[in-house]
Amino acid sequence: MSGRPEPVIRVDHVSRWFGSVVAVSDVTFDILPGITGLLGPNGAGKTTLLRMMTGLAGVSDGSVTMFGEPVRDNPSLYGRMGVMSEHETVYSFMKGREFVRMMGRLRGVVDLDAATEKAIDLVDLPHAAHLPMGTYSRGMRQRMRLAATLVHDPEVLILDEPLNGADPRQRVHFQSLLQKLAEGGRTIVISSHILEEVEQVAETVLLIVNGKLAASGGFRSIRAALDKRPYHVRIISDDPRALASAVVRLPSVDAVNVDPDGAIIVLSNNVRDLQVELPKLAQASSISLRRVEPLDDSLESVFGYLVEG
Amino acid sequence: MSPVFLLTLRQLSGKWRVVIMTTLAALPVFFTAMSVRAIDAPSVSEFEIIVLSTMLAGSIAPLIIVAIASVAFANEIEERTLANLTLSPIPRWQIVLPKLAASVVVAGPFIVGSAVLTSFLAFNHDALAIFAVATGILVGLLMYASVFVWLGLVTKQAIGVGLLYIVLWEGFFSGFVSGIRFFSIRHYSIALMHGLDPRRFAESQPVGLPTTIAVSVAVVVLFLVLSTRRLRNMDVP
Repeated sequence: MSGRPEPVIRVDHVSRWFGSVVAVSDVTFDILPGITGLLGPNGAGKTTLLRMMTGLAGVSDGSVTMFGEPVRDNPSLYGRMGVMSEHETVYSFMKGREFVRMMGRLRGVVDLDAATEKAIDLVDLPHAAHLPMGTYSRGMRQRMRLAATLVHDPEVLILDEPLNGADPRQRVHFQSLLQKLAEGGRTIVISSHILEEVEQVAETVLLIVNGKLAASGGFRSIRAALDKRPYHVRIISDDPRALASAVVRLPSVDAVNVDPDGAIIVLSNNVRDLQVELPKLAQASSISLRRVEPLDDSLESVFGYLVEG
Repeated sequence: MSPVFLLTLRQLSGKWRVVIMTTLAALPVFFTAMSVRAIDAPSVSEFEIIVLSTMLAGSIAPLIIVAIASVAFANEIEERTLANLTLSPIPRWQIVLPKLAASVVVAGPFIVGSAVLTSFLAFNHDALAIFAVATGILVGLLMYASVFVWLGLVTKQAIGVGLLYIVLWEGFFSGFVSGIRFFSIRHYSIALMHGLDPRRFAESQPVGLPTTIAVSVAVVVLFLVLSTRRLRNMDVP
């Protein structure tokens, strides 16, 4: 018997096409409790995928299940999920508190007053809850929408670009809120074009490129799987020219550039081999290595590789 | 009370809509007030055809309700707020029915009020005539509303398509092509007036009351079912 937990969401060979345009093509993955980041360039199919995961859109092929049940046309399941779409429109005539309260009522919340105030407190917006949402800034609207998404304390949160319009302080607050919710056992899927945000909160990432799942797993494990791809490393030493002429002869190195500041930038075709060869080479050449840092270890660069690849 | 109903009431009660509804609803009343004072006042049957059938049941009522019912969902789709409702753990009909009810509650007072005042002026305060006209218009309103609510779910041009339907189908074809009137809401609205007060439209030979009631219920139920199915199957933006 496997010790692997049952997935909360299962996306099984899902495709979606609009006429002759294929938006999502044969995508399969499982989502477990914790925070999962959904990443991809604009038009990659992220939003279509999220909409299929929430039942808002149907699949052309394959299936999406949540807690083992189909999500499409399954209202009983919707009380267990909170969905915040990418669209920022709100009922502008409605006050923030009214909106959160209405969403709570629609989702069957029993203690409506307490749940409404708790959700508004979570997004740190009690001072504006009595104002019509038409008067809100973009960031405030997003936060009040998040409060409405959280009001029924859902087990699954699906958030499409939730931080649009948020200022840096709100982003930090939001990240810590997400982490707290995930620690409470919730399953959270967050899509964002700000890659650093996802990198900071998501334990698992799903990379969608051209409607296909390009990679999935932990961020670093994805990077490791890509080690055979060109990889830039910045090296600071006490003798950059000597190091450059030595390092270029290594089989794991494709090219070397010397920066004006004295650092050398190595383009490696096998970073694991480079990790072993570089210290030996430095020792043999009596060169002191002061700093060795990968330049490609950000999500942005992994993402870039996949998109270009 | 359903939050969907309350939400829709607020969405549909804008100032401009109230102005338009008031203006349209006042037209038959104004026309009737002028007619009954005129020396060459129309006969009862002429009045029924011109004011009750063509103007009230065939134009004013559908024009008001198309402006209300067709946007009950269309606004949510356009503003991309419909997901707030469809991602609720409630059956889809519990979204459709409050939307329909709110449309009728918003438009009803204007249309039925217009029917009551018009028949009050035209039929010398005859209670049965007023009741028959008001009921016929109200049932017609319900049928129109159910059609236009569905229309708002299936096309982005619900108002335009609705206007074409009112002008071409209810206004033109059903008046000139005899077989088509059996597929016309206006016809059943008139038939109900006749069924409740046989003096009304006595020369028009509309269908009987039981058939009228059965068809009216069938139309409302059919379009409620179609709207519910559409809401279940559509891609919600």
